[in-house]
Amino acid sequence: MSRPWAPLLFWGCLQLILGAGLAAFDEVVPALLFLASAAPVLVLAAWNLVRPPRERPRRLPGLSVPVVLIAIGLAAAAIGLTAGLWLSLVGAEIFLFGAVWLGRELYEERRWAR
Amino acid sequence: MAGGAPPVAAPAGGRAVAPGERAVGWLASTDHKRTAAKVGVASIGFFGLSGLLALLMRAELAQPGLQLVSDNTYNELFSMHGSGMIFLFLTPAALGLGLYLVPLQVGAAEVAAPRLALGGFWLYLCGGLAMYSGFLTDSGAGKDTWTATIPLSNSTHSPGVGMDLWVIGVGLATLGTLLIALTILLTIVRLRAPGMTMLRLPVFSWTMLATTFMVLASFPVLIVAMGLLLAERHLGGVFTGATGSIAYQHLFWFYGHPVVYVMFFPFVGAVAEVVATFSRKRFFGYRALVLSLLVFTSLSMAVWGHHMFVTGAVQNQYFSLTSHLLAVPAGIEYLDLIATMIGGAILLRTPMLFALGFICQFLIGGLTGIIVASPPLDYHVNGSFFIVAHFHYTLFAGSFFGLLAGVHYWFPKATGAMLREGLGKLSFWLLAIGANLTFFPMFFLGFDGMARRVPDYAPRLGDLNLLASIGAGVIALGVLVFFANVWVSLRRRVPAGDDPWGAQTLEWATSSPPPRHNFTALPPVGSYAPLLDRREEAGASAPEGAVA
Amino acid sequence: MKSSRHDFSGLFSLYLWIGVGVALLVFAAVAFALIRYRAREGRTPSKRSEANALELGAAVLITAIVGFLVFRTFSTEAKEDDESPQAVRIDVTAFQWGWRFTYPGQGVSVIGNSNRQPTFAVPGDRPVSFALTSADVIHAFWIPEERFKRSAIPGRVNRFDLEFETPGHEEGLCSEYCGLRHSAMRFDVWVLSEESYERWLAARRR
Repeated sequence: MSRPWAPLLFWGCLQLILGAGLAAFDEVVPALLFLASAAPVLVLAAWNLVRPPRERPRRLPGLSVPVVLIAIGLAAAAIGLTAGLWLSLVGAEIFLFGAVWLGRELYEERRWAR
Repeated sequence: MAGGAPPVAAPAGGRAVAPGERAVGWLASTDHKRTAAKVGVASIGFFGLSGLLALLMRAELAQPGLQLVSDNTYNELFSMHGSGMIFLFLTPAALGLGLYLVPLQVGAAEVAAPRLALGGFWLYLCGGLAMYSGFLTDSGAGKDTWTATIPLSNSTHSPGVGMDLWVIGVGLATLGTLLIALTILLTIVRLRAPGMTMLRLPVFSWTMLATTFMVLASFPVLIVAMGLLLAERHLGGVFTGATGSIAYQHLFWFYGHPVVYVMFFPFVGAVAEVVATFSRKRFFGYRALVLSLLVFTSLSMAVWGHHMFVTGAVQNQYFSLTSHLLAVPAGIEYLDLIATMIGGAILLRTPMLFALGFICQFLIGGLTGIIVASPPLDYHVNGSFFIVAHFHYTLFAGSFFGLLAGVHYWFPKATGAMLREGLGKLSFWLLAIGANLTFFPMFFLGFDGMARRVPDYAPRLGDLNLLASIGAGVIALGVLVFFANVWVSLRRRVPAGDDPWGAQTLEWATSSPPPRHNFTALPPVGSYAPLLDRREEAGASAPEGAVA
Repeated sequence: MKSSRHDFSGLFSLYLWIGVGVALLVFAAVAFALIRYRAREGRTPSKRSEANALELGAAVLITAIVGFLVFRTFSTEAKEDDESPQAVRIDVTAFQWGWRFTYPGQGVSVIGNSNRQPTFAVPGDRPVSFALTSADVIHAFWIPEERFKRSAIPGRVNRFDLEFETPGHEEGLCSEYCGLRHSAMRFDVWVLSEESYERWLAARRR
């Protein structure tokens, strides 16, 4: 079977059945939590079914420093929530810098692909 | 052109590289193999730190009374040991193994979203450092176990920056590992080699795929729980009253149970590959395995209430039923593993030893898991050392041995050098003896009335505790021998070649280590064991380049 | 209502022996495979890699065993959930890091912590009805010799009955991590005859 959405769909359906079981046992809030958690997998299944990936050439850099900056900036901003506002601001700055840089990197790749 | 992925622009080659560039080359590389290596190194570092904490704990517990550390320090030790091992070692190691191997197993030149994986690594590393930096604060590191239940973890009962850093760190590390899992999932969905249908995915890749389903479904819930916990600590009013406490537990354990399966499935996949290769047979019962993987991982999302049986606040019957049912797919997997060996030509190399250790020892953890799936039985052993024994049999004597089986098996592929057999076997026996010496007595300790998370206990329990502490020392020795093996093997290399084991899956059809884009040519894929097919067709009875 | 210890023992033995049986079976199968199918000169491995009937049969068998265990568990749980109306009543409040035991309507209340471990008494062979809560964080009330524990949750009262069959002294402790002095949060239980119990109460009445 070359249909990757199939196991995703099957799994998502098992989740719905198990969630329904929870609801049947009167655990309503956990049941809702359960059903909500099945969503990412079902969405991916639907996406793969409706828009199968096209083979097209991709240009990928060997390095991606902007991604590292985005991650570190985000982490610093989060840690700053307890360590101090200054760290959050520094982190946000690094994040934005990285995000802009990444945006340009992606734009270059799209342009090359066209 | 190799693999299902179109060619990636090759980086400029053939010029001298400055040291700064080399560092950046490692830290910011989009190569999934380098990202996975970084995840591996970081997880080993956290394993070492968290393991040291455990040795300190066992040193304190060797005798009744408080000899080495204070109550407060001990609480930090076991909280950070558990948190470190789960959030920062075994979960990232499981996903890192997949990040390295899945593109190679499916015949892809790269993962589907290399930058996502790279970003995920850095988030995980920063999260781990944040958690451990709690030790440097006044209030100390997180000391509310790895679960941080409300109301204990709110700002009234656990004030201080150290606990905040723990909460934020857990959120970041979980987000990072979630992104890595997403990358693996997308790779399997989109970048399989031509001819590799879903029912020709290797067994390890199937276990990785099933793992990513659980990650996608459960990890976001933990991130939300940590966000809410942080809000509770700083703003209050989020988890109020008994309903709030119970709600937190639902959110936490909804993640907290699947994560232990995230720390299991990749390793059972590694064990499956090892057993097949060293039995010289393709894995038995592939279709049954695929079905049982899907059922097992789905069911594992529906059992979390068994952690809450003693609260009296969950539907015990539903969760007891689902927890018991886990035995069915688990049984199928065991049947398949054993049936793979039967009729084979078994070679007892180090990877196979660790695989066999996994099979026998995880079983003990799994069967005691069925015991605690029964609420009346759980009412006695919950919160005691019986549970500590149960999950160390599954996670340490089980998953960690499975990890070592995979490491010893794939080390030649990743580094181009063989690990030493003698040191490998020595480390196996030390670890096996150590694991059983440490954790088997704990079943009796717990049954006899020793609560968990305590630095002190009734004097009559001293002998078994001493035994367990000695076992911990033996484990430490085994770990050191393993590290020594890695060191020696990298220093004085014995070249591995492409396929030192005579294995079956695509990663062995390229050089060791693989080139930047993984493959220069791919063999045809007609099943989940393409190299075995190729050998059988060629009529060869001896495996290529097998170590005698 | 039978005491929880009795129910526990029967059920635990069932699970334990089935578990031991399964473990021995698997170890034997692994040992068999290792001995019989060790690599030897001229040994060619079998090409067989599927046996769906076997898999299905195994799944059905395991489901049956598990189903039986679930049935036994549910029966035991149903018994334990019973509450008796004419029981001795004790209100238990857990706090960081000690216990308070109050006998409502009797004018008796015992409180203690690690500095002075509290003791409460119960009459043997009669249901004792507990109402358990916490004053601060989640604790758990565990009497290992009764094979039973329950969480003490602030803002919630957990009710359960226990019947103590063996006279004498029993240990109790907190089994839910609750902060700094969790390991010191212990108590003692005296299981007494009816007259001794009445005397015990009278001595503490205010």
